[in-house]
Amino acid sequence: MKRRLLALTAIGVAGALSLSACSSSSTGSGSGSTGGNVTIKLLAADYGTAGTSNSTQSYWQGLADTFHKSHPNITVQVQTIAWTNWAQVATMIQDKQYPDILEGDAPQQFAADGLLYKLTDVMSANTVSNLIPVFAKQEDGTDGTAYGAPFTTSARGLFYNKKLFAAAKIANPPKTWADIQADATKIKALGGGNIGYGLPLGPEEAQGESYLWMLGNGGGYVDSTGKYAINQPANIETFNFLNTLIKSGATEPGPASTNRQQMWDAFSAGQVGMVGGSGALIPDIVKNGKLTTSDYGVVPMPGKSAPLTQTLGVHDDVVAFKQAGHADQIKQFLDFVYSDANQISFDQEYDLLPATTSASAALSAKDPVAAGFLQNVPNSVVYPSNTNWNTVLAKLKQTLGTAASDNASSVLGSLQTFATSNQ
Amino acid sequence: MTQSTQAGLLEPAPGSDDAGPRARVRPVGGGRRVLRALAPLPWLMPATGLILFVVIWPVVSMFLTSRQHFDSMGFDQGSAGWGNFTRLFDEPDLPGVLMRTVIWVVAVVGLTILISLGVAQMFNKQFPGRKFARWMLIAPWAASVVMTSIVFKWMLNPSNGTILVLMHDLGFMKDYNSVNWLSQQTPAFIWEIVVAIFVSVPFTTYALLAGLQAVPEDVYEACRLDGAGAVRTYWSITLPLLRPALLVAALINIMNVFNSFPIIYEMTGGGPGNQTSTTTLFMYNTQQTSIGEAAAMSVVNFGFIIVVVLLFLRASRWNSAED
Repeated sequence: MKRRLLALTAIGVAGALSLSACSSSSTGSGSGSTGGNVTIKLLAADYGTAGTSNSTQSYWQGLADTFHKSHPNITVQVQTIAWTNWAQVATMIQDKQYPDILEGDAPQQFAADGLLYKLTDVMSANTVSNLIPVFAKQEDGTDGTAYGAPFTTSARGLFYNKKLFAAAKIANPPKTWADIQADATKIKALGGGNIGYGLPLGPEEAQGESYLWMLGNGGGYVDSTGKYAINQPANIETFNFLNTLIKSGATEPGPASTNRQQMWDAFSAGQVGMVGGSGALIPDIVKNGKLTTSDYGVVPMPGKSAPLTQTLGVHDDVVAFKQAGHADQIKQFLDFVYSDANQISFDQEYDLLPATTSASAALSAKDPVAAGFLQNVPNSVVYPSNTNWNTVLAKLKQTLGTAASDNASSVLGSLQTFATSNQ
Repeated sequence: MTQSTQAGLLEPAPGSDDAGPRARVRPVGGGRRVLRALAPLPWLMPATGLILFVVIWPVVSMFLTSRQHFDSMGFDQGSAGWGNFTRLFDEPDLPGVLMRTVIWVVAVVGLTILISLGVAQMFNKQFPGRKFARWMLIAPWAASVVMTSIVFKWMLNPSNGTILVLMHDLGFMKDYNSVNWLSQQTPAFIWEIVVAIFVSVPFTTYALLAGLQAVPEDVYEACRLDGAGAVRTYWSITLPLLRPALLVAALINIMNVFNSFPIIYEMTGGGPGNQTSTTTLFMYNTQQTSIGEAAAMSVVNFGFIIVVVLLFLRASRWNSAED
């Protein structure tokens, strides 16, 4: 114990947090395992490309190794899964191959199945209070207790290509839907196969792009009381507008089957005038090398009559499974992971944003691009936290894109029926 | 997987037929008779065990799954009665999906067999480079279906797919990014049918070619002596004698095409929405929102394929042809 403390202070990573975590482990040891070495399994989403140095596997492995040095009796076994194969996680859980820590999925369904530790069991009070509060409600189970924590966040804005805007003689970035339509039409008219507005309504993230448009018209997935209101008149009007936008040829052909990554790639290649994006688009632009930092700009997403004052904030969660009974070890590791240095190194690797207040402040101070996005996070709009949101989300991804057509109201109507009848 | 399913279902029949008559024909007294009747069992055990394990067990568990209520993470929340089936039949997308499945099977199998009949006839003739041509035909068969589908998807990419580049350069299309066939229901489905035919033709051709080579030359000689023309010969001699091969080709194709997943999955994912889904894709897409409902769709699929196979066997009097 003494040696471990010494090692800890020597390394000095988030000293106070680790110390408190450590002391709690000494009081609670024996409950998890009968002393000796403990291996905790971490299952996480891969935000990079598997098999390259950019893979999130290397980020977690780096953390696990550093952590193992200061906590020699805890080994963290890291496994990452690509987002495109994410269904594998559900399969693993169904096969009862529970990880100890899962990064990527929302807690509600797991919590309802009684698989999770309460957040306070696996994270020290200091870390919990440091989490950005706007996402708190999305971490609660039906009993109103938090079962997860945001790990990484991002906020949305409208990226526009200054080169194309100059070529089409457009002076200012768009502020309203009408601006988008006019600007997109001008960019399309430049010829050469340019896309005016990239509208990814395909299954990858139809819910995100649609939400940004719904918000621009005062709509959304739920009403003010938190009940589903997918087919509210504002949303129908929004999708009717998208339909006219598509028909005018201002978007790419076939938005309902175009995925976000395709549009981001096309934007990075300089072929798209405007696209909704988060910080995660920036590495694509850099990698592609077609646009320099001065060739594109980011503005708030336009709404029907004015830009959005609140943007869409999204986050990915960390949850802890209780089957293996490693609460103490998980707590030590999570407190280590949520230290400012570790939060920031993740977010700089993938151009995402931190989930803790202190890391946000630290990152804002040194990264102006991130600061622009970060200032929007604390008051952002978030996805609903209804218990069946996961199920509804899967349906939305598949179907929502087809609402941008002549039958917006029937598509949205059947989605509303689905959402309310699958409670 | 389907092929093994079907093979498995057909297999027990000849096996039990073998055991039956032998036991009846030789009446031996008491326990020895029982022993004798059981004698084939050790030899049948491995196959039976395999069938039980890889066919019967999944089928049973599929039925059980279709009657349970699962949450979004796949945990069993108790019995759903027939709820999954009611929900499935209430799906607004279902009628379209069923109709497309019929179009899909009929169009792909029909056109595949028509094309293969022609190609097989050609390959049955002597011509320079025939060996090479026969090898070439194996390529779409040997290549992974997933790979073929992805290649076609790329060729149809609205901004740089080779097919669209060709159309652009030939002047049929003014600007890139103006058409995206895979996002429109009808063109997307037609392209998927084209790819399905492309990957089904090689096997079908080889099955038919084997059939053609089995037709004895002297039948044709007799035919020529009787003064039959080419059409008459083909209609009255070749086609009837080709019947067993045609039957095998059609049956295997129907099952394969009905269950075909990768082509549509890779090219459109059944989308937009479920506009290009067949029942197999619909089952997969449903599974993301409700596992029980997807299992119900599987059960319906399973019933459908059994009915098709039985109808087909009956219509073609498979058994009499075999005996």
